[in-house]
Amino acid sequence: MRKPLAVSDQGQGPYLRRFGPVEQTIHALVIVSFLGLVATGIPLRFAYAPWAAPFMRFLGGPGSAGFIHRLCATITFGYFFIHLGTVTRNLIRAEDKRSIFWGPRSMVPQPKDIKDVIGMFKWFLGLGPHPRFDRFSYMEKFDYWGVFWGVAIIGGSGLLLWFPTFFAKFLPGWIFNVATIVHGDEALLALGFIFTIHFFNVHLRPEKFPIDLVIFTGRAREEYFEEEHPLEYERNREGGGLVALQVPAPSRTAYLWSLALGFAALTVGVFLVLLVIYALVS
Amino acid sequence: MVQSGAGRSEPGASRGPGRTLTGVVFSLAGAVILGLAAASPARAQSGGVVACRNCHANRYFLTGKAATLQADSALYVPDSILHDSKHAGLNCTSCHPAFASGYPHRDESVVAVPCQSCHQKEGEDWARSIHAVDAVTRGNAPTCVTCHGSHHVLGRDDPRSPTYPLNVAGTCGNCHANPRIIGTYFGGADQAQARTAVANYYKTVHGTAMTKAGLIVSATCSDCHSAHDILPPDSAQSTINRANIARTCGKCHAGVLATFDSSSHGRALLSGAKTPTGHSAPVCIDCHVAHQLVSASDPVWFRGVVQECGSCHEQEYKTYFETYHGQVTELGFGLTAKCSDCHTAHDMLPASNPRSTVNSANLVKTCSQCHPLANANFVEYQPHGDPRNHKEFPRLFWTWLFMTSLLVGIFLFFGSHTLLWLARITVDRLRGDGGPKADGAAPGSPDGGSKEEAP
Repeated sequence: MRKPLAVSDQGQGPYLRRFGPVEQTIHALVIVSFLGLVATGIPLRFAYAPWAAPFMRFLGGPGSAGFIHRLCATITFGYFFIHLGTVTRNLIRAEDKRSIFWGPRSMVPQPKDIKDVIGMFKWFLGLGPHPRFDRFSYMEKFDYWGVFWGVAIIGGSGLLLWFPTFFAKFLPGWIFNVATIVHGDEALLALGFIFTIHFFNVHLRPEKFPIDLVIFTGRAREEYFEEEHPLEYERNREGGGLVALQVPAPSRTAYLWSLALGFAALTVGVFLVLLVIYALVS
Repeated sequence: MVQSGAGRSEPGASRGPGRTLTGVVFSLAGAVILGLAAASPARAQSGGVVACRNCHANRYFLTGKAATLQADSALYVPDSILHDSKHAGLNCTSCHPAFASGYPHRDESVVAVPCQSCHQKEGEDWARSIHAVDAVTRGNAPTCVTCHGSHHVLGRDDPRSPTYPLNVAGTCGNCHANPRIIGTYFGGADQAQARTAVANYYKTVHGTAMTKAGLIVSATCSDCHSAHDILPPDSAQSTINRANIARTCGKCHAGVLATFDSSSHGRALLSGAKTPTGHSAPVCIDCHVAHQLVSASDPVWFRGVVQECGSCHEQEYKTYFETYHGQVTELGFGLTAKCSDCHTAHDMLPASNPRSTVNSANLVKTCSQCHPLANANFVEYQPHGDPRNHKEFPRLFWTWLFMTSLLVGIFLFFGSHTLLWLARITVDRLRGDGGPKADGAAPGSPDGGSKEEAP
């Protein structure tokens, strides 16, 4: 029987490590840079909305907004390459290199993920049991690949628009028209997805409401781990790996910082998506 | 207007003797003058002035001579008014010949000769003007003296003159900034504009150039509306008729006029060509709104102009705002290219014209104004590309279609995923079920009792 997992790092331990410091840092960088990119991007994309001009003035005008946008873009490229470096490092160190790209612990979509999607819809409709997820559920994989390809596509098209005269040396001019469409639409997809679907799946659904701090503290209550990722939990339990995963509860400082960053990000994200929805509807 | 003293002999018995005495003196002098005048015109001139001022330079004598105190003052014409007037060289009877016979004034039906007896051209111009029409039909419109004054007539180069450039707006404003007068002469829709015209003028570049910089070559009312033959804009001869506007502004903005005349707009205007929707070519005031002229760097202005261009160039207007150029402009910042930055402000020509700034041969130069390193590839960018136009922009269309399908697909899938999830949890909670794992831990599930085994 599942208990509500609100503010899921609270309560009794023991705690198990779910994310490492690099992953926590990258997620924090994603939050800060993505909010900055969205905040400075939407006044342009929705320039016709009544809130756009005051918002742009608040940001200090298009020069200042452009600077913030590019600064956040630079952070984005930074974490993207840090992540690629981490994957490479893991690949070099891993004994079973194949497991990184395939298998139950891999981030790469597996046939099981398709079964899980179907299973989840069946469960929604009362036609079957709740699927049991492994290390990453298909939703988490979608989030990950969404950001991965999002950074590549939005970042790539953004670079084209950032340095058009450089890229025009070897690319045709229509590429900038295409880049404008792709950049704006992919960004709209990203912000719409993160600020509604991701927020609901991870933070706002009733079992987790109002926030899930696992990515911020890096650690999850054992009960949470077992319920959200039962297959990963059982594999560790059977293989004797649980002991290695055990960590102390997050410190009060870590908890409060996580709470502050998490709620700030949720609030800003919801605010920004409401602005976008207003502009789309009006 | 002028009433003679004799016609109003009733008041003040105490004044009677004085007036009679003076009257005698005056008529004696008049007789002398008349005699002299008959003998020699030259002497009559100087003599006339001397004689008239005997009374008309005497404030006390004039008191009570006319119907009102104001009319009394009008009779008071001391040397201080006359000596630096443009008319200082004339004598009184040049304009007031009826009074040449001296005092008492016998024929008072014609107070003064019309100004046009000398100022023929100005008189004819005025006679054609809307002021003249109103003066005849409504009786209260300005005549020469309303703007030029009567005795203290000064040249327009005299800073004290009501027609001195710095003073013209004030002179016109005496009536045109007076709501009561405007209410009488302007009806309906025109009234709002007429009411604010003078006040707005002071806020325009023309007005502030006058008031702040004292720049007397800046335009004032009469420069655009003309001084004497002022006609409403629907009159074909009016300086502010659409057909004549470019020439009116071009009196000062000669360089712009020459450029404009050779542009698409200028040539369409001269040929009378119209758009399929019946628009005639734009003239100066369509972008530079007459009484709201502001500097071109003012967001109010450049957004208004882009909108003005868009009132005919609808497709270009729409697509412009889908680019970074247009988005920044829409937000009210002047950072990015606006219509005139690429198409020029006054020399716009179709791209097919080799002289056009948007002709393919000139694009690199045009774009280089902002993008110094622009090359041939760079200028292939379509600043008015329309992704919904499949025929002209197939690449943009397919990109747009792909992206839109992607967005719609993902949001439909995950939107229903989220809503169904929420519905499922809500149903579970309403039933008092524990939650999702109630099913997850169904019989046959390998971790049915895992909780007890947790370390």
